Amino acid sequence: MPLENSWIFPVFESIHVIGLAALVGTIVLEDLRTLGLKIADTSRLKIWTHTGLALMLITGAVMFLSDTTRYLHNPAFDVKITLLVLALIAHFTLHRRGTRFAASLSLALWTCVVLAARAIADFDA
Amino acid sequence: MLNPLLALARGLQDTSLRLDLSQSTWGVPIIGAIHVLAIAWFGGAALVQDSQLRRFRWIGLSILTFTGALLFWSQPLRLYYSQFFRVKMFFLVLIGITALLPARHARLAMVVSLVLWAGVILASRGIAYR
Repeated sequence: MPLENSWIFPVFESIHVIGLAALVGTIVLEDLRTLGLKIADTSRLKIWTHTGLALMLITGAVMFLSDTTRYLHNPAFDVKITLLVLALIAHFTLHRRGTRFAASLSLALWTCVVLAARAIADFDA
Repeated sequence: MLNPLLALARGLQDTSLRLDLSQSTWGVPIIGAIHVLAIAWFGGAALVQDSQLRRFRWIGLSILTFTGALLFWSQPLRLYYSQFFRVKMFFLVLIGITALLPARHARLAMVVSLVLWAGVILASRGIAYR
């Protein structure tokens, strides 16, 4: 039975969204802090960032493997994965320096990843 | 007497905005994308106890409420009858109640509301299916 026709798929999608809130939500706080938002130290949020990332990678991989042809023929998916790779590279390199440029780039990249991901549903053939 | 919520859903169903939203190609996808983006941008604030984030939290809630209201407006009757939508609204009411707990229970309120938010997200995904 294809995973999409089962109740498991929406549950995986939900966990993916929960991971999104934890991953991008904490990165945004960190970036906005670099850009001047008044908020206490964000370094202890790292655990949430990494938990969110783990949840997203696991649920994302399962959803992808459940219907590889759907995703490989979807232009929004290509854009999303490209941006995601860029965002992850930036996150584990440039982002560590904590410059205003790195924070702005991070905000822009993660925002585009989310928008492209959301568009996958709109570009199904 | 007609249930006031059903009356509201029927009223919205008959508006021209409902027609415009449901017939537009990109209207609902764009509003939905902003809704999800707001979850990504403001979701982190649910994980921190920091009174400095009060304004930030309210901005996020306002964007979610505004885009959520438009999404509801695009298909009021379907959502009114959706079990998952009802569960989502119920959880949101409970989250509102946890916000009213006295400050000495702040830690408990945060944990309970995090669990409820996870429930809100689960119910929301369910709405897309039935």
